Amino acid sequence: MRKIVALAMGAVLVWGMVALGEVLKIEFNTLFHEADAKAMEEIINLFNASHTNIQVELIQGRWAQYYAELRLSVIAGTPPQLGICHTYRLVEMVDYLTPLDASPVGNLIQMGGINPADFPKATWDAGELAGHHYLIPLDTHGWGLWYNKDIFAAAGLDPDKPPQTMGEFMAACEAIKAAGYYAFHPAEDALPRKLRRAWEIFFYQLGGGALFDEGYTKATFNNPEGLVALQFLVDIFNNFGWNIVGGNGYNQFTAGKLGMLFAGNWFYPTARDSGVNWGYAPVPNFFGTPYTWGASHQLCIPLQPAGTSPAVYQATMEVARWVVEHSYIWTMSGGHIAAYKQAAEDPTLLASDYWTRSGNLLNEMAQKGLVKFPINHPRGSELEKAIETYIELAVNGKITPAAALAQAEAECNKILQGR
Amino acid sequence: MKNKLTRFLYRHRGIEGIVYVLPFAALWGVFLAWPVGYGIYLSLFEWNPIKGSRFVGLENYVALFRDVRFLNALANTFKFAALAVPLILGLGLLFALMLWSWGRTRRGVGFVQAVLFFPYLLTVSTVAITWKWMFDPDFGLVTHAFKALKVPAPVFLTEPAWALPAIAFATAWWLSGYRMVVFQAGLGDIPQELFEVASIDGARFHHKFLHIILPLLKPALLFSLVLTIISAFRTFGQVLMMTEGGPGRSTEVLALYLYWTAFEYFKIGKAAASGVVLLVLTLILTLIGVKLLGLKSELQ
Repeated sequence: MRKIVALAMGAVLVWGMVALGEVLKIEFNTLFHEADAKAMEEIINLFNASHTNIQVELIQGRWAQYYAELRLSVIAGTPPQLGICHTYRLVEMVDYLTPLDASPVGNLIQMGGINPADFPKATWDAGELAGHHYLIPLDTHGWGLWYNKDIFAAAGLDPDKPPQTMGEFMAACEAIKAAGYYAFHPAEDALPRKLRRAWEIFFYQLGGGALFDEGYTKATFNNPEGLVALQFLVDIFNNFGWNIVGGNGYNQFTAGKLGMLFAGNWFYPTARDSGVNWGYAPVPNFFGTPYTWGASHQLCIPLQPAGTSPAVYQATMEVARWVVEHSYIWTMSGGHIAAYKQAAEDPTLLASDYWTRSGNLLNEMAQKGLVKFPINHPRGSELEKAIETYIELAVNGKITPAAALAQAEAECNKILQGR
Repeated sequence: MKNKLTRFLYRHRGIEGIVYVLPFAALWGVFLAWPVGYGIYLSLFEWNPIKGSRFVGLENYVALFRDVRFLNALANTFKFAALAVPLILGLGLLFALMLWSWGRTRRGVGFVQAVLFFPYLLTVSTVAITWKWMFDPDFGLVTHAFKALKVPAPVFLTEPAWALPAIAFATAWWLSGYRMVVFQAGLGDIPQELFEVASIDGARFHHKFLHIILPLLKPALLFSLVLTIISAFRTFGQVLMMTEGGPGRSTEVLALYLYWTAFEYFKIGKAAASGVVLLVLTLILTLIGVKLLGLKSELQ
């Protein structure tokens, strides 16, 4: 009943604006670039074309400084009305976001006609903190195994049977290496954060536990599993001869020089346009449970200046609802798996090239709970940076894996102790 | 009326000067003095305008000098400047001398000059992306050149010992063209007679270089040195885009440390403090440069 009243109130507000001939402008800032930026643009263009009373101005931010810009815009009193927040950034960003269930104009979730049951429970719950709800789920994204079918054939491997166990994987890598190609790159373009993600995959597969203790008082990753995971990562570049230190997996793969690559679903448009005869598979089960790395983009309303009109909140929620309801486009063109259940069942999406060749497999991993999300801590960025700095040095052969983990642990503990 | 105004301006000559300076002073105040002053002010706070900022005095500075990462960034900044400044000035001077010795009449001088100056017109991101490709261990031109010479190519950007020199080299490629133009102007001002007299006295090129060119090029050298020191200490874009401060933290310079601290970890007070340190350092080094070159008169 309350939902109907809220929807009716919203409709009256929007109708009032239309009657007055007023067009509400909603600013929507995102951190997307390349394929997913184009997908979001497509969704927003559809919205703008079908709405006369609300127009969205889409500003696609630079990934690296998006969160800083969002915070500064809130401080300056000029925030966008709608934004994006990774679930793992919620703890860091919470002071700068509007609690959707307790906004200055009421419960925006109800006002916007958003139904939590339309999303997977875990994804919806990830937007909750300290008794309030801040985020509306947009997607789950993560890494999978991209492989070159022609190289598989040249190496005498079955192009339709990508390796899924450690034994199969080792054999495939050796065959590809013998055929004169780079066998495997575990970390996209080998940036430090990508190397850390690869290590996390191996770590979680080994059952290494959490990276930090429950209360985030100390690092717990410097354990035997952490060491095995890092040694494996180091060996890929330094001992197995599957790739070279500093090699860029994206470039190697699109140039047809690389057999297998760990990369995110956002690699789909690049792979599709590269001319490589590619295949996609879930991350193999190397060590016990085939976990992969992933995260979730969600919609948020940055903290608005006092006195922001209820009509603006209402219009923002209308845009948010439109975006999630049209997130099949997000999946089809942007490659991320829509969190909105109905969107993920859209017939156009299910018949699309993206879905049939790769999206369905990532979705399967997500549904099975095999996508491990990053840490969620107010100083999460610093902690991750500390870990990846030493992982990179180990991969480059400058320190041993044991020394890398010990140094990363010490630095993380310092950060956690507030030093 | 005109006489009255003239008399007034004559009597208040100081005011006239102020009026002339005012537009620049206003811009300088708004876009330089105020931000710098506010930065210094911020460095004394644990800044959080949402939950309330807290005055911490010099705590941010103390924390900085206890932070191993900051000290490493400071050391890297000096290393980078030590590599980049001589490289940029040396290349700039070399190019200028080369073009100057060819003379203005030889065909193709203008073209060569344009080619050497061209990189300066590029944005830092273009330079960084270009050189990242050049150093790529699979597809890079530099790597291929090494292979052609049958010499094993270092993996420049992932080898701690090579990464900083590689970025310094890319920076020199980018900036030396502008220095070349400054030096060319300086060389053009040197009276030709001095060289003729020196030649009659039997002076060779290195004599002319040491006893005529270098002393008379001092103003141009000072200008370029100051400019290059400042840009070397503020280096940011090429490091961020080529290595993100890695491998490990071997290329994390002060400006990049400031960037992570401010925009990734959102510790604005601490970042402002490191900005103040950077400002003071640049100032000191510029003054030392002026002192060493003994060019007070030129500055005046």
